[in-house]
Amino acid sequence: MISKEDIEHLKNLARVEFGEKETEALARDLSGILDFINKLSEADISEASETTHAAEIMNVMRKDDDEDFFEMEGRESIVSDFPEKETSKLLHEGTESVWLKVKAPIQKE
Amino acid sequence: MAIKEFHEKLKNRKTSAREAVSGYLEKIKKENSVLNAFLEVFEEEAMRGAEEVDSRIASGEEPGGLWGVPIAVKDNILIKGNIASASSKILGNYRAAYDASVITKLKKAGAIFIGRTNMDEFAMGSSTENSAYGPTKNPLDTKRVPGGSSGGSAAAVAAEMSMAALGSDTGGSIRQPAAFCGTVGLKPTYGAVSRSGLIAMASSLDQIGPITQTVEDAEILFNAIKGKDIYDATSTEKNTSRKPEDAKMKIGIPEEYFAEGLDGRIRDTIDNLIEKMKGRFSFREISLPHTKYAVSCYYIIMPAEVSSNMARFDGIRYGARKHGRDLAEIYKKSRGEGIGLEVRRRILLGTYVLSHGYYDAYYMRAQKVRTLIKKDFDEAFKEVDLIISPTTPTLPFNIGEKSSDPLSMYLSDIYTISANLAGVPAISVPGGNIEDGGKDFAVGVQLVAPRFMENLLFEAGKAVEEER
Repeated sequence: MISKEDIEHLKNLARVEFGEKETEALARDLSGILDFINKLSEADISEASETTHAAEIMNVMRKDDDEDFFEMEGRESIVSDFPEKETSKLLHEGTESVWLKVKAPIQKE
Repeated sequence: MAIKEFHEKLKNRKTSAREAVSGYLEKIKKENSVLNAFLEVFEEEAMRGAEEVDSRIASGEEPGGLWGVPIAVKDNILIKGNIASASSKILGNYRAAYDASVITKLKKAGAIFIGRTNMDEFAMGSSTENSAYGPTKNPLDTKRVPGGSSGGSAAAVAAEMSMAALGSDTGGSIRQPAAFCGTVGLKPTYGAVSRSGLIAMASSLDQIGPITQTVEDAEILFNAIKGKDIYDATSTEKNTSRKPEDAKMKIGIPEEYFAEGLDGRIRDTIDNLIEKMKGRFSFREISLPHTKYAVSCYYIIMPAEVSSNMARFDGIRYGARKHGRDLAEIYKKSRGEGIGLEVRRRILLGTYVLSHGYYDAYYMRAQKVRTLIKKDFDEAFKEVDLIISPTTPTLPFNIGEKSSDPLSMYLSDIYTISANLAGVPAISVPGGNIEDGGKDFAVGVQLVAPRFMENLLFEAGKAVEEER
């Protein structure tokens, strides 16, 4: 059984919100799902190692080349997908600069 | 028209790419308002692509096997410059900055992308009801679900709104809708097809694959998209070859897949098919003893990976951003309002099974059970070349029937999940018909092969098509 406090804690850890009604349904559904997956406690795993991937495990390296982001294909598209931005002409004379806006990670008290 | 037939006609100038594409566009206009298989149709781009193919042929070039072939693309596969929303609100305006590797390959091969198809949000669901853009309906009976999560792609092929389609399969999301809609669906070996440009759900389980009208078409598309890719470190190149040249292929019938919970009519249809196939294959009963743990194991590993993969959708770099007092509130609001209930439920479940104090009891245990499930297949493939089973335990269910009960929805993937956990390839092929409520449905037959032995699936799959 999963408690209300557990759910509030998980919501915070996972950075997601649920409405009030959704939270009630969630507690019920999660408990049902957890009961079901608890079936695994019957399995004899004493001889088994962990599978972390379906593929054979091998190390794959790429070439250690540098890439110039300003020349990169698709750069404009990445910029245009950014939710909040501002265009200004202040820094580079004649050229437009795009400023990508985010909230300050640390707020002043 | 199947791909091969179209190619022959195109080569002999009996048809044109324009004729094919405009035919499908017409069909979409007629059917899509009811079926809701397509979220967007790339009408202009597709017609332009078709014109290019036709003019190259007119100038004397010999057409390649996929020239002018219209393909519907699941909405979680990126096509540069187009929206890829994964049927989520949070990505409703997201435009892809690059092509998925499978798209690059198909573009080079001359295929034409006709539209992006509806799906369960972020590929989480088994009915395509769980889309921010409304449910897709089953072309065989519009009161029923098409299956999911690649339900739009399966419905598009079944209703002849596209010649073929791409889907993605994490626990059955290609094979189950293919079975429900009466089409062919292939989940390739893990690593056979690059995942670059597929919006990730559970990275150790996801694979892109074709949904087609025939097994031969699935083979053609698989050969076009497979192979090692520098953008996906898990992709590998393996040449497959059939082991015994002369001997009859041996097919195993796993008792656990024909047990309680299977619709008796589906069991009878498959029994019947096996009888008819006995001249060409030898059959024997086998056991995959850890099958009973597959769904539980999957519903630990999959949400764990989902919770990490979904962390990137935070409203910061792309997607819909909501305002808040501080960064944490922006995350919570953007994710709370932009992401649907089922996806948030899995994020929370994944966070739970990975959290301190529960990791050993859930996640580590599931990883070990995954090894046991994998070993079941290794052992079975020492005795047989292939495994046959139903793809789904039931015929397509009604819209709304399971949407309020997540657990019963999860159980509709009971026969398909193991192949993802073990990384082995599997195909669903229509293997007979059942009439239900005055409508005719196909029965999906699932064939499973050892890793990188897709060629065996195609060989036996074609036999299913001939004998059914």
